[in-house]
Amino acid sequence: MATESSESEEEGKIRGGNEKLIVEDDLREMGKNAAWSVSSCKPGNGVNTLRDDNLETYWQSDGLQPHLINIQFQKKVKLQLVFLYVDFKLDESYTPSKISIRAGDGFHNLKEIKSVELVKPTGWVCLSLSGTDPRETFVNTFMLQIAILSNHLNGRDTHIRQIKVYGPRPNPIPRQTFQFTSMEFLTYSTLR
Amino acid sequence: MENLLVNCVERNLSQFMLTNAIFLCERLLAEFPSEVNLQLLARCYLSNSQAYSAYYILKGSKMPQSRYLFAFSCFKLDLLGEAEAALLPTEEYVEEVPGGAAGHYLLGLIYRYAGRKNTSIQQFRMALSLDPLCWEAYGELCSLGAAEEASTVFGNVAAQRLQKACVSQRINFSEGETIDQLTDSDKASKDASLGQTEHVPGENQQDLKIKQLGPDIPPDTDKQRNSSSHSNGWDLNTPSPVLSQVLDAPPPILYKNMRRPAVEGLMSVHGESRRKFVSEEVSAEAPEESRCRRSARIAARRKIPMLQSYGKDSHWLHLSPSEPNCVPSLSSMIGKYRIQSSNEATTSGQSLSDIGSSIDDEDNSNPSGSSPDPCSLNSGISEVLNLLKLLGDGHRNLLMYKCQEALLVYQNLSEKQYNTHWVLLQVGKAYFELQDYFNADSVFTLAHQKSPYALEGMDTYSTVLYHLKQEMRLGYLAQELISVDRLSPETWCALGNCYSLRKDHETALKMFQRAIQLNERFTYAHTLCGHEFAALEEFEDAERCYRRALSIDIRHYNAWYGLGMAYLHQEKYEFAQHQFQQALWINPRSSVIMCYSGIALHESKRNDEALKMMEKAILTDARNPLPKYYKANILANLGDYHKALKVLQELKDSAPEESSVHALLGKVYKQLELYDKAVLHFGIALDLNATPSDTVKIKACMERLIVPNELETEEDL
Repeated sequence: MATESSESEEEGKIRGGNEKLIVEDDLREMGKNAAWSVSSCKPGNGVNTLRDDNLETYWQSDGLQPHLINIQFQKKVKLQLVFLYVDFKLDESYTPSKISIRAGDGFHNLKEIKSVELVKPTGWVCLSLSGTDPRETFVNTFMLQIAILSNHLNGRDTHIRQIKVYGPRPNPIPRQTFQFTSMEFLTYSTLR
Repeated sequence: MENLLVNCVERNLSQFMLTNAIFLCERLLAEFPSEVNLQLLARCYLSNSQAYSAYYILKGSKMPQSRYLFAFSCFKLDLLGEAEAALLPTEEYVEEVPGGAAGHYLLGLIYRYAGRKNTSIQQFRMALSLDPLCWEAYGELCSLGAAEEASTVFGNVAAQRLQKACVSQRINFSEGETIDQLTDSDKASKDASLGQTEHVPGENQQDLKIKQLGPDIPPDTDKQRNSSSHSNGWDLNTPSPVLSQVLDAPPPILYKNMRRPAVEGLMSVHGESRRKFVSEEVSAEAPEESRCRRSARIAARRKIPMLQSYGKDSHWLHLSPSEPNCVPSLSSMIGKYRIQSSNEATTSGQSLSDIGSSIDDEDNSNPSGSSPDPCSLNSGISEVLNLLKLLGDGHRNLLMYKCQEALLVYQNLSEKQYNTHWVLLQVGKAYFELQDYFNADSVFTLAHQKSPYALEGMDTYSTVLYHLKQEMRLGYLAQELISVDRLSPETWCALGNCYSLRKDHETALKMFQRAIQLNERFTYAHTLCGHEFAALEEFEDAERCYRRALSIDIRHYNAWYGLGMAYLHQEKYEFAQHQFQQALWINPRSSVIMCYSGIALHESKRNDEALKMMEKAILTDARNPLPKYYKANILANLGDYHKALKVLQELKDSAPEESSVHALLGKVYKQLELYDKAVLHFGIALDLNATPSDTVKIKACMERLIVPNELETEEDL
């Protein structure tokens, strides 16, 4: 599993956040293969800011709650972690508070898979998509929707500075069910 | 005044005072405009890496030597068409390619860069037949896959050619008194008796003597390195052709003396000084040799300064020491040569003492047209050719990927030759191609220790470390390489491999692209770029990179392999199979490629062929456990569970630490409904640190296994 945020999970509450984003080697960022869209935005603070690797720029919504961020993939992918960069100190009432993550095949059959409440977050916040079942480390889905249900101090609109989505690395050898673990097998498995 | 200036320019060239040389040469040209002077200026520019200047001044020159220099400048400027036009014989000019073997070699390179494979092969073969010591031509032929057996190329015909060349050159200057002594360059054996002072080249003395000789020296008649055009060009100053022959003659005998101890030290020194014409490796003697010859031919020589930069100070044994004009570097070279050759004299066999005695005789007698000792010449030639034969054999085997044979051949080298950078690189590469990364590692480490300045082959070394997952050592290597030369593509390849090992593919990609910027024709950098794109799953870019690599060197089987993998990932199995076929055609012994070919075949539903391919892979490399694993996988997919079990049992014993073997065993047992065994193996697989995604799969399988049992017990009740 990934390390990071000081999760004190009483009823799905997350406090604080991490300055640095540290993820294990066996995960990789999946956002590049997805289509990102948002329910509304203020001109100049559009959806690009969520993916520009710049923590200074942020997305600002411009409408009614819940604010939605939709991440759509071309085929079913396994996802494990979602990281949000939010900062209470900078954004105050724009900082999201209650977040619900939904997954499904499309807009018509999204189902909530995770619900958290952020309490004064400052930095990268990690939302794990795994269920309690050890079989459910990953969620295998076409679409992910991050819904901001409410903000701190009852703000209407929200700021999010960056989002990253992580999933497991695919098997470097195509069409094999299991991955190799021992040095011997790995050495012979590829040419360079 | 002209001679004085020319002298000075030559001296400056040999001592690398290039701007001074250019300045003086311009004054010379202004006062005495002539084509020979123009050639001299071009040489100055080329030495100063100003190929464009040389290009402009030599444009339209007709003399063969000028045409060669012009073609060389065009080549440097990447103007292949003009270079080719300059080198090809036309009716106007002469019948032969200017520059002899060097000209053919250059033409071969031009054709190769232009992608005209067959004509380039022809040219390289011509170059080799004209000058058997043109090793680079042989190397190019090997990499084009068109090299003949080393024993034919460096065999009797070559020996005869060399002999003829040497002998005819000697006849030419047998008339000159001092020059005659110059030919007995194997005075090295007499070193012990000679003091240091005598070896200070007394060039002024020599100059005067040469001038005296003047028109007495007949034009050369030798065919090999001095084509008729050559003499045309250099008739203006008759001493020069003579001197060039002098230069050319000594080498075979020198080799005999110098070969063993002196090779590394002296040759590498010369290698640096002669780098302007060939950019390749330094430690092999043959390229050194041909380089010197080429420079000798090319130079509009008038003076011994040419000779002295070639460095075998023994030439001047009998000249009275005049003011030492040579720089300290030269005398240090001389010193080194002295020491090494005196070692040689004491350690090597009788042949040297024979020569020694013959030299004594000649020294004492009045030098007047005494012919050189034919035996020593022959033995010298045969020793050189034997060495080249061995090296050529090994090199050819390696590039045909017959690595075991190559290794055997290299073992036959003398220890001193073996421990040179080039040979160690070859051995390392052989182990690398055999996937024997541990041995490759040790050999490359040795090579790097011996010559930390030599960057060639370090890209392969970094790949070996990448395979062995030695992050620290790879990082350290990259740092070292940067400190040696920031502008060499191998450095950036090593850096890129470093980042790639840490899975930072984007940075790795940038590094490899920098390597490409430094040298567009560095095939491996393109392939590595392709690998990085593939890791980032950008398969179109990956394909583009691989194809670029293949356009430079179609025998680069890694690129074919990369293309196959890219197609495999995109599930285009037929295409993948085709690429793997191509790769196997070039390197028929790679069990890894055979495995992937088998996978592609299986996915294209050609299961019999797939299984056959796996069998072949198992036979080719018994140490590779993967073909067995893939075979079991295919058998399981086809439903042949018992056979799959058998294979997996064997595999389990030979590779007890591999979790995927047990996971597959579990799956097969599950299909056979032997649930307890299945659970057992799934459990072992989990214990053996399966990857997280595999852990999930295995646990899911285990859960499903337990459920049917529960159902049974419920029914019983």
